[in-house]
Amino acid sequence: MNKNDIKLIIIVLFITVMLFSLSLFQKKASIANVYHENDLILEIDLSINKTYEVDGDNGKVVIEVLNNQIRVVEENSPYHLCSKQGFIGNSGQSIICLPNKIIIELPNNELDTEVS
Amino acid sequence: MKKFTRLSMLLALSVALNVIEASLPLFNGYIPGLKLGLANIVTLFIIYKFSLKDAFYVGILRVFLVGILRTGLFSTTFFFSLSGVLLSIACMYLAKNLFKLSIIGVSIIGSIAHSIGQIITSILLLQMTSMIYYLPWLLLFSIPTGILVGIICKQLVKFYDEVLSFE
Repeated sequence: MNKNDIKLIIIVLFITVMLFSLSLFQKKASIANVYHENDLILEIDLSINKTYEVDGDNGKVVIEVLNNQIRVVEENSPYHLCSKQGFIGNSGQSIICLPNKIIIELPNNELDTEVS
Repeated sequence: MKKFTRLSMLLALSVALNVIEASLPLFNGYIPGLKLGLANIVTLFIIYKFSLKDAFYVGILRVFLVGILRTGLFSTTFFFSLSGVLLSIACMYLAKNLFKLSIIGVSIIGSIAHSIGQIITSILLLQMTSMIYYLPWLLLFSIPTGILVGIICKQLVKFYDEVLSFE
């Protein structure tokens, strides 16, 4: 190993740290959109801890917001996949309840919510 | 003829290393695309002791052989490996000749290029843009795996120079 190898390792580590910090910076969602068959039925502010109820195809879907994260608490489906998924809080993530046709999305456009 | 035999043996060795590596449960599953890259030892060695053309021949043949043996020809894994190998050979050759890097540095460059090649293919072929989020992880791990491959290859080159060239 010579000097240039060490320089290379330092450069790569620097880029890695940059990319990590960039992804941490981007990944804070502030709102969640709830869709039922592509129709926006609810917009949730993630800064308020609260429980919401929406109507899915198989009955009520209970959604809980806690510490800027969101999860599905209760729903009626064969495998309960979306309530087993647990909390999500990063933009770009989503919870999809296929039997209920309910989709919870955390959008990337944080600027819109900061203005309002 | 001697060169041809040696390259054939190296090809067999690289296929064997690839298969051994796939059976190691070391990192399986946590981060897609993460592996030690032991087969890169052979590629790197050929770049140093033979030529760029030979490295491409052996690299491409290895991907085809591993495809037949393990992953399946023209599967997604096949195209991932192919793009990774082609980009890493090109980048290692350039790094060796342009920068004053030792074999370890060149090996790290190869490891990084392999990751980037696979990510580019996954985005172009499968439209999986979310793969880009794994880039920092792959970059981070390419340093230790690159150093490991580099050290092994350095010993191999030393051994080759001392023992085999006196035949």
